[in-house]
Amino acid sequence: MLEQLLMAFINGILLGGVLALLAFGLNLIFGVVKIIHMAYGQFVMLGFYFIYYFYTAWHLPLLVAMAGGIIVMGLLGMLVQLLIINPLLDAPRLNQLLALASLIIVLENLAQVVWGADYRGIPISMPIIQFGDIFIRSSYLLAFLGAIATLGILYLFLHKTYFGLAIRSVAQDVEMARGMGINPKVIYYITLAAGGALTGVVAAFFIPIYTVHPHFGASFTLMAFVIVVFGGMGNLLGGFISAFIIGVVTSITAVLASTEVADILALVMFILMMMVRPQGILGAKA
Amino acid sequence: MLTVDAIDTFYGEFQALEGISLKVEKGQTVIVVGPNGAGKSTLLKTILGLQKPRKGSIRFQGEEITGAPAHKVVERGISMVPEGGRVFPDLSVQDNLRVGSYNPVARPKAQTQMEQIFDLFPILSDRKKQAAGSLSGGERQMLAIARSLMSCPKLIMLDEPSLGLAPLVVNMVFDFIQKMKAEGYAILLVEQNANKALKVADYAYLVESGKLIYEGDRDSFDQNPYIKTAYLGL
Repeated sequence: MLEQLLMAFINGILLGGVLALLAFGLNLIFGVVKIIHMAYGQFVMLGFYFIYYFYTAWHLPLLVAMAGGIIVMGLLGMLVQLLIINPLLDAPRLNQLLALASLIIVLENLAQVVWGADYRGIPISMPIIQFGDIFIRSSYLLAFLGAIATLGILYLFLHKTYFGLAIRSVAQDVEMARGMGINPKVIYYITLAAGGALTGVVAAFFIPIYTVHPHFGASFTLMAFVIVVFGGMGNLLGGFISAFIIGVVTSITAVLASTEVADILALVMFILMMMVRPQGILGAKA
Repeated sequence: MLTVDAIDTFYGEFQALEGISLKVEKGQTVIVVGPNGAGKSTLLKTILGLQKPRKGSIRFQGEEITGAPAHKVVERGISMVPEGGRVFPDLSVQDNLRVGSYNPVARPKAQTQMEQIFDLFPILSDRKKQAAGSLSGGERQMLAIARSLMSCPKLIMLDEPSLGLAPLVVNMVFDFIQKMKAEGYAILLVEQNANKALKVADYAYLVESGKLIYEGDRDSFDQNPYIKTAYLGL
């Protein structure tokens, strides 16, 4: 039992890393553009399909197919900015939310038309690593390490480049950022491109773990949203911490009870948080 | 250098500026005095391109900048020190300065510029890694002024730099404005503290409820009976 719990804990940490990466893009977009990208999980789904398509239809090497998927998702992110977010920048919150929620339906149906309703995936067998009595799937370990590395790169991008600096300024005070000579529109495009590319990265790490279908993204949208709100909307560190909390709690509960109970518990925790501390772990009081 | 000609600026249906005209010549310090809510901040925001005027024109160094977006105006050499030392609270002091040099003209000079600023404001150098939000009001105002210098401006606009500061700190701020003036920057200063502002002014405007009420050089401004009683407390 103790080994099982330890294993669940380790798996929870590994899951937490991937969730942290997933939530990061949603959080960044909210922090900078002040918009909730409702179709974020559906972007992961699309990224998965694109990698699958490049690999099976164009016979590209897997890593090239993944790079292609990441680039296409980055471009799609910019397209969402151009077609949906820009025209609604000054619109009421509800209109923005509904427009992006409609995108969920558009993307899911588009995927169904193009790729059909079947489960699709790229069969890759990755070994299971054994440490004494502990077994770890290397696909999870790889996803975790890749997620942490990607987050590290994003941290450097945000803190060491002028674009990163501009992104952080726009997130804090867009009028002042304009007064400093920053064009927020450009920053929004960069942010949506980065957020889109991130969904491609997440999809690439999911390839050895999951198969994809048109409704694959829904649970990830919800998961990312829960993590972001739990951590404090727009607070990147808060999102990082809450991803690990949610990862560990769901993973351990899944061992003690079942995955269904784990999902229920995660959402109950979320609801309780909203009652007790609606601004999230590290969010500023509104 | 800067010519503002009969601009009207609205917030929705509310008219904040009505036919305001003013001029700043090279190396000149011009002040705009007026009560709270007179539209002084709106005037600066309109010049910088944060607000679009509905009518009128703004020219800077002979070029039309009316309605140009702020990032274009900053690039041409206008910078602003916002009201209340509005810095980016979660960015470090150093990063706040770096944002000031975001425009492509200033960016290559950012490093040397920052070293000069740290010589000028040793307190900012001591705190360069600290979040700007943790600074005192006076330090924040200093940082906002320093940040405005980072963009290599030709004209610096200051929005109520003495607001909410202790008298000693207000003196420091005005000493600094004096120093910038001596270095040849053109300055457009908006202030409620007319006594202080007049000491550094070459030319002065009085604005009330979005309208220009009076203008004149320092001496005539000083002697106007209405301004004397209403703004200088004499």
